[in-house]
Amino acid sequence: MGDQNTPLTEADARQMIRRCGFGIPAKDSKKFRVEELAQLTRGEAADLFVDFKPKGFKPKSSEARAAHDKWVKYMFKRKKSLALQEKLVVFLHDHFATNFSGLDARIDSEKTSVKALAEQNGTLRKNCLGSFKDLVKLINVDVAMMWFLDTVFNKKFEPNENYGRELLELFTLGVKDLNGNENYLQEDVIQVSRAFTGWVDDSFRAGKSFLDPFEHDTTAEFPGRGLKEIFGVVHPTQGHQVGGFVSPQSFIVGGEAENEIDEVVEILFQHTDSDGENTVARHLTFKLLEYFCYEGPDKATIDAIIASSGFTTTWELKALLREIFVHDIFFETGAVPGASTKKSVRWPIDYVLGTLRALRVQPKGKELQLQGGNFNDVIELLEDMGQVVLEPPSVFGWDTEQAWISSVGLLARYEFVRDVTTSRDSKPFKPEKLIDLTLTTAGEIVDAVTDQLGVTDQLTAAQRQAMIDFMLAGESEPLDLFDVDFREEKLHGLYALVLQSPAVVLF
Amino acid sequence: MAITRRQFLKRSGAVAAGSALGPGLFGNPFVRTALSETIGDRYLIVMLLDGGNDGLNTVTPVDNQGGTLRTNYEGWRNAGSGGIRLLPGELAATGIDPDPNTGANLALHPGFIGSGAGAGGLKALYDLGKVAVVQGCGYPEANLSHAVSSGIWETGDPLGLGIGYGGTGWVGRYLADPTTGYGGTDIPAVNISSSVAAEYRQTGTSVIAVSRLRRFGFPFDKQNDNGTQLQEYEDAFLAIHAEASASAQPGVAQAGDAGSSTFSASQSYPALHNLYNDDPDRAVFEALYPNSSTGRDLKEIAKIIHGVETGQPDIDARHFWLRNGGYDTHSNEGGATGDHANLHNEVASAIKVFWDDITDMGAEDKVCILIWSEFSRRIQQNASGTDHGSQGPMFLIGGKVNGGVYGNHPNIDPAAVDSKPNTIYSQDPLDPFRSTDFRDVYGTVLNHWLNMPPGVILPNVLTLDTGFPVNTYWTVADLDLPLFVP
Repeated sequence: MGDQNTPLTEADARQMIRRCGFGIPAKDSKKFRVEELAQLTRGEAADLFVDFKPKGFKPKSSEARAAHDKWVKYMFKRKKSLALQEKLVVFLHDHFATNFSGLDARIDSEKTSVKALAEQNGTLRKNCLGSFKDLVKLINVDVAMMWFLDTVFNKKFEPNENYGRELLELFTLGVKDLNGNENYLQEDVIQVSRAFTGWVDDSFRAGKSFLDPFEHDTTAEFPGRGLKEIFGVVHPTQGHQVGGFVSPQSFIVGGEAENEIDEVVEILFQHTDSDGENTVARHLTFKLLEYFCYEGPDKATIDAIIASSGFTTTWELKALLREIFVHDIFFETGAVPGASTKKSVRWPIDYVLGTLRALRVQPKGKELQLQGGNFNDVIELLEDMGQVVLEPPSVFGWDTEQAWISSVGLLARYEFVRDVTTSRDSKPFKPEKLIDLTLTTAGEIVDAVTDQLGVTDQLTAAQRQAMIDFMLAGESEPLDLFDVDFREEKLHGLYALVLQSPAVVLF
Repeated sequence: MAITRRQFLKRSGAVAAGSALGPGLFGNPFVRTALSETIGDRYLIVMLLDGGNDGLNTVTPVDNQGGTLRTNYEGWRNAGSGGIRLLPGELAATGIDPDPNTGANLALHPGFIGSGAGAGGLKALYDLGKVAVVQGCGYPEANLSHAVSSGIWETGDPLGLGIGYGGTGWVGRYLADPTTGYGGTDIPAVNISSSVAAEYRQTGTSVIAVSRLRRFGFPFDKQNDNGTQLQEYEDAFLAIHAEASASAQPGVAQAGDAGSSTFSASQSYPALHNLYNDDPDRAVFEALYPNSSTGRDLKEIAKIIHGVETGQPDIDARHFWLRNGGYDTHSNEGGATGDHANLHNEVASAIKVFWDDITDMGAEDKVCILIWSEFSRRIQQNASGTDHGSQGPMFLIGGKVNGGVYGNHPNIDPAAVDSKPNTIYSQDPLDPFRSTDFRDVYGTVLNHWLNMPPGVILPNVLTLDTGFPVNTYWTVADLDLPLFVP
């Protein structure tokens, strides 16, 4: 068992660099190099990554495609621990998933839809280390979300449950707790949805939202809909109220007006599951651990991290993240692949940015065009890999792990690698700047490349041998890396083999 | 009067030859043997209407006849601005057989008549007797979450009891069953998608996901081909992935397998694109497919079927999956025109062209398309759309499908719905509106189309509900619906 005082190994340091950002460019601040990080304890290193002041960037544009490319470019350029900022924004964008197509279909204006999405993106960024509870309250009245999940169509005579349901199911509680017990009932969805009736987007106030009292459902006007309270119904099979509550929770104690939606959030954040643990804290921590570590973290780990972070008191994301980054679970996956290690499939955006940064290749122009192979724009390959930011497939966000390594997704990764590594002459990828050209044996060259990509310890002897065989096919030692033709054929090829291998595709 | 299950699922309409012969025919050992000899030639295409398709505006009562369906329908669905009601005049061209229970005349959504090269759409195929409409498909206590309900349909596990499915899908378990004989490197199924759908998941054999065949080749660095370089690269790539496949770490092993099978498929599948386009008979149809997501996806399936039918080496996919998204019509659903109509039009037009294409190939009797959605929608509309609902219709389409209307229209009487209001799933033998378990349709497909004993794939997980006043769960599935002609 390690803790915050445990010294980092070099493998641990590589793990932090891979996971707390999209890989750190070699040119970046010295503090973030493997050899420097390996001088620190886990706690010191975690502080280095989480101590940053979020920037106010918003990917603004009149076109969705341009906004996408702007954000990708911004992510690519973030240095040092600001890479963690973007990694968190991607996580929150997946958690509060909102997509351009859904907005455009409802708003019927590309410009307005992109503007709303950019504002939401800025909100996520600004709040990525702060209180999660406050963030949920901001999302309640976020204009993009209000359109995407139909709050703007939620009127007193015909309430619309779309947002109310997802607030419970996805953003806070989850359908079921870790023991498989339901966290809420349909009645709760109905009542929560009443709180949101009448909230609209005021286009005259540039993306500000407000409550239209004439469209708001009140108990006086709709007595037949019952009291505005949640978690008061006895669950048919559990035999008691859900959420650990012993009486119905009214969300109109402060009156029937704007405050209702904040009070709903306050109640949700007090909900406890069938183990008596805070449901929101467990739900979010579970998802963060899947994002930063691996699928299916266990209860004991989740609870320990919540407890030591004080999350259920402050709801501060920064404290929660720090506890994740010093916990054993975070470092377990960095080990040499063995039966007991757990691996995760890298998200496409991570794979793309990590590769570009490691190779010090910057795609060309606003369109982020690659300079080899089919000269694809980055977005074309990301689309086939299954991840276009600002366009998650639905409110459920992206389908991860196995879904990322479908044949379509893999071929897109392979093609991306080909397009990056086949760039020639003075084109961006210059392995001669990354590798010592005086090396003459295949073994030394393979080790140099896998070291530069930080995956030497992720390869088996047989895989290393396959790479050596590739280098030596039709050649004999001493090899000459100063020979441009040899380099372009073999060294570029070797880079492609490593980048396409499970050592890089998986964390 | 006790209504037996078979009677409740009686087929309505005049063309009753299939059901007259009766499902007992399939029990005949000679027929079963004869079937099994052709089983290997059959295709199954599963299509998802993603988001929760509004069943009440998909198979719609046109009148009341012996019940009150139309009156109830008009009570829930508004006419005029924001209204989604389908008027009798708008349903005049898409009539189908009546509801077996109430005798009410039914019609498909007018969008199902298709347009352009796909004009006629599903209605035309219905009139040919090739479409089975199965009403009221669902499961007890409908879950209104997209994710949970999709999961129930994909696994075939209505109560989520976790009886050892291990995240596998119902089609996946069929593919992985030892009796199907598919090995780890075989590719019996292709999903037209960027990822493999949950109902195809398993670990026994390879299912590949393909968006467009044309772009499915392995991206070699051909600039650098000195004659042997590509082979050297291939050798190294395959050796690295084979080594990963042997890893004790399951994730690494899976990534190794995925890399290897992707590589092999990338060597055989892309050629199907040109093979199809260069065949003058196929090129005629190639030009007819609508330029819509469903049209493009079905065209890719047609290319693969063409490859199988013409005996291309290493091509033997028999199972396909595709989806059409956008059915989560909380707002702007529309009636005879609008979002929902456009979605149905897209599906119907594309399927009609696909049907014409495979018929021209002579493969129509080998193809069965199963269409499902994770739930139907709220009976009562909101301002301009519908929230999540319960049971809804499924469709089977194919040359050997015994066309007609099966199952009962759900009971939408205000006195019979729940508080949301949604229709209530019922297996009460005394209920004339008795529902259809969605697994009855899966089971019948397994039983009579794929010749697989359904119990192997769909264990009976529903326990007897002793609730008052009647038991509403079923415990013995009816997997012998007369949905196929012998």
